[in-house]
Amino acid sequence: MSMTQEEIEALMNGIDAADETPPAEEEEVSTETMSEDDIESLIAQTQSTEETDQQDPAAEEESVDDILASFENEESAASVEAEEENIDDILAGIEGVVDDTPSEQPQSEENIDDILAGIEGVVDNTSSEEAEKTKEDIDHEAIGRDWTDKQIEEGVFPLPVEKNTKVVGQLSEVASDSEEKATKIFDVLSYILDENNEVQKNAKALDDFVQKQTVLLDSLSKKFPNIEVFKANLELAQSLGDSAKSISSRVDAENVQLFEAMELMQFHDINRQKIERVMSVIRKLSDYLNGLFEDDGSHANISVAKHIHGDESMELVGNEDLDALIAEFGN
Amino acid sequence: MKILIVDDSSTMRRIIGNVVMQLGVSRDDFDEAEDGVQAWKLLQDKAYDIVLTDWNMPNMNGLELVQKIRGEGSNHRGVPIIMITTEGGKGEVITALKAGVNNYIVKPFSADILKEKLDGIFKK
Repeated sequence: MSMTQEEIEALMNGIDAADETPPAEEEEVSTETMSEDDIESLIAQTQSTEETDQQDPAAEEESVDDILASFENEESAASVEAEEENIDDILAGIEGVVDDTPSEQPQSEENIDDILAGIEGVVDNTSSEEAEKTKEDIDHEAIGRDWTDKQIEEGVFPLPVEKNTKVVGQLSEVASDSEEKATKIFDVLSYILDENNEVQKNAKALDDFVQKQTVLLDSLSKKFPNIEVFKANLELAQSLGDSAKSISSRVDAENVQLFEAMELMQFHDINRQKIERVMSVIRKLSDYLNGLFEDDGSHANISVAKHIHGDESMELVGNEDLDALIAEFGN
Repeated sequence: MKILIVDDSSTMRRIIGNVVMQLGVSRDDFDEAEDGVQAWKLLQDKAYDIVLTDWNMPNMNGLELVQKIRGEGSNHRGVPIIMITTEGGKGEVITALKAGVNNYIVKPFSADILKEKLDGIFKK
């Protein structure tokens, strides 16, 4: 239940704010650390499937092109037919033109067959693509499963209990490290702010000097209007005065941005506190689980059987093996 | 004008310090403490015109510090206190007000809000 600044104001004034804004949802993203080799091997495994994936659209495009081409042929053939039917009457006597028409009709029929075949081909392609995609999904799952199994077998997962894998320790390290880095970022921002202040001081000194020069040159150019150099320098001084003012205003704008950046750095503190809250939950959970699994402490070290009947192990001996072994030792 | 800034985050202390400096307070006129214990020690040696404190801090939190400042026998019972914290719950605000804070700011805050609250206290 978080309160807005307005609600706090209302509380300060003794007014009980009725509405409460819902707390902002927190997003938690889980991350797993993978070594470069693991990533490379995963990429290598998935690349082969990607290649086949890239080839399929090309095939699909070809079939689409065929259809479009056949449609174009069909349309052009039909229009040519319509035109030619009229022209046929007019040009009935002209040799060669009429003879072409009968030969085109079978061609257009063939085109229709091509289109139908193409459409069938498209339908077939789509279904085969779906099948391939499902296959790819299965392949990905299989790859992932194999990879995970391999990692578990090699003892990579679950992560061994070491300094670098202890969750609370890692979170604590993140919190303190980011605090350190945030301080450095703040140092940089403060440095820029200080430098800006120096620039502004210098710009002001420059502006003051230029203003005096402007007044001087103004009076000189009025007294000696025929001397061009006074007039030219007056214009230059006025221009420099504008530049000095421009520098100052730009630095002001930059300072505003710097203050904004500094304000945003509050989120470092807020995020640190979120991490600390997570750490607190994990510590409590750890204490609880430790309490749940611990015994009264008065146990003797129990000898644990390595191979028990029913285990799936090559080391288990059958009755025959047992007898053979006993006989072999001759005890 | 002497100001005491209490926060376990050095970044937050600097942010608050920057805002305070924007109000015309010189760097020499404010001190920083990273928890309630350190703040209480500083309060034993020096009088402050205002205390700006966080809530969640190690060793002694901000609420305990406020209670100590407002407690019987304290020489600083009248010093204005503004709590600047991530604790945005209504219950927490009421608890802090009951403990004796004069004003309350929830993080993240803008420089303008802090200026406004400080102005309000300075005018009193």
